[in-house]
Amino acid sequence: MSTRILTEFELLTPNTIPEALSILNEFRDNVIPIAGGTDVLVAMKFGFSTEYAMSISAIPDLDYLSFDPNKGLRIGANATISQILDSKAVKQHYPALWQSAKIFATPQIRNSATLIGNLLRASPAGDCSCAVYALGGSIVLVSQQGEREVDIDDLWISYQNTERRSDELAIELRIPAPEPAGRSAFKRLTRVNEDLAKLNVAVNLVMDGDKCTHARLAMGCVAPTPLRLRATEKLLIGQTLDGSVLKRVMASVKEEINPIDDQRSTAEYRKSVSGVFLRRAIEQACDIS
Amino acid sequence: MKKHSISLQVNGAVHEITIQPNKTLLDVLRDELNMPETKYGCGTGECGACTVLVDDQKVINSCLTLAATMDGKSITTAAGLQTAEGTLHPVQEAFVENAAVQCGYCTPGMVLKSVGLLKKNPNPSEDEIREWLEGNICRCTGYEKIVTAVQLAGKKIAQADG
Ligand SMILES: Cc1cc2nc3c(=O)[nH]c(=O)nc-3n(C[C@H](O)[C@H](O)[C@H](O)COP(=O)(O)OP(=O)(O)OC[C@H]3O[C@@H](n4cnc5c(N)ncnc54)[C@H](O)[C@@H]3O)c2cc1C
Ligand code: FES
Ligand code: FES
Repeated sequence: MSTRILTEFELLTPNTIPEALSILNEFRDNVIPIAGGTDVLVAMKFGFSTEYAMSISAIPDLDYLSFDPNKGLRIGANATISQILDSKAVKQHYPALWQSAKIFATPQIRNSATLIGNLLRASPAGDCSCAVYALGGSIVLVSQQGEREVDIDDLWISYQNTERRSDELAIELRIPAPEPAGRSAFKRLTRVNEDLAKLNVAVNLVMDGDKCTHARLAMGCVAPTPLRLRATEKLLIGQTLDGSVLKRVMASVKEEINPIDDQRSTAEYRKSVSGVFLRRAIEQACDIS
Repeated sequence: MKKHSISLQVNGAVHEITIQPNKTLLDVLRDELNMPETKYGCGTGECGACTVLVDDQKVINSCLTLAATMDGKSITTAAGLQTAEGTLHPVQEAFVENAAVQCGYCTPGMVLKSVGLLKKNPNPSEDEIREWLEGNICRCTGYEKIVTAVQLAGKKIAQADG
């Protein structure tokens, strides 16, 4: 049961990044950053308590989403899922990310929820997290010690745990420039439309004619963190995506994932549909039907 | 808990208020400002009863928003849609004319959500309306009349602008 009354905490509302960094440096593990708050507030209503919370929504100029064909996509810490959905550049160049925003929650939640919050929540079911994992990229973390760029491949350490230190603020996500022959897609399975995923998948392929030259595949709800399907990726590279290759790919996913039973689905179900589900995402990316 | 002083514009009137940091925008609207038209359904972002319009453009769930983070914002609730003379907003008119209301609990949220849609997309298709209304639950009407009311409202607005 959720409660109507949130437990008590001190709220800090910095107006600049340096102010935010000094707060994080002082309070470390005792302060939780809040962007859109759609995860943190729900957690608080289910009993999560914290001594300090720091809202970053008053920090100006962090709500950008900018695309440059040479540099790629840059998304600030206050940019929302709605902004991703409204971006023509994302729709055209990063279809997996756009599709993950399209099915994401409800219009109200999309107007508050941030992409960076989705990544830092480190949920194995995060939809945009799955898409970003397949696209590849890095997240910029700053602290009073300086700035570092963490590859998305190194961001998630274990269930709901990230590489971010408690004195660090995430300020930007960077996704590399799109490959001219790149194709990507995202798919999600849910019990009902508004629910969180019971399985999600994203693929990012580079094709040279019929041949696949580069592949990144990510699947969610099948491990403690979003999972990259590295062994399965290898089966695609250098191959023409014909029936026999796709068959091997489908068999491989099953071996690579490690799902559990939970309230949304069972491990058995997830394993048995994972192959078909991945194949459909590959077909969607490459317009094969 | 250190209280926060914020300036909140609600339906055009500015309120300078001092509030506890653990209050949601919904708590403040209902309990501090005595504006009960915004409803509490689930408290966790699922039902849309608490929907409000921020800065005349985007709909949010007031149950998942800390009021202290809304300093300087302008909020529209369902009671703020009509004109000063009391003429209903075209969306409200359409809901009334189409009998898209039964118990009325979801209605403030539904109406604001529809206003948010028509601001973005003045002529939505039925599918677009249904998709947009995800996140607003009605236990009474079966949604059909709500969907046709939104279509009617779009026409009313186009005529008025026309
Ligand atoms: C009704 C409902 C439906 C939902 N549907 C979906 C869905 O379909 N798919 C999905 O993936 N998720 C869904 N979610 C979950 C949630 O909306 C997303 O995870 C969202 O992207 C979180 O973003 P936020 O800005 O609200 O994060 P917050 O709640 O503000 O923060 C989330 C986490 O990230 C940390 N954080 C945020 N920003 C920073 C920063 N700049 N630096 C350091 N740490 C930071 C916070 O400390 C916290 O741990 C849903 C939630 C609700 C309530
Ligand atoms: S009360 Fe806010 S969404 Fe249900
Ligand atoms: S009219 Fe009763 S809940 Fe919608």
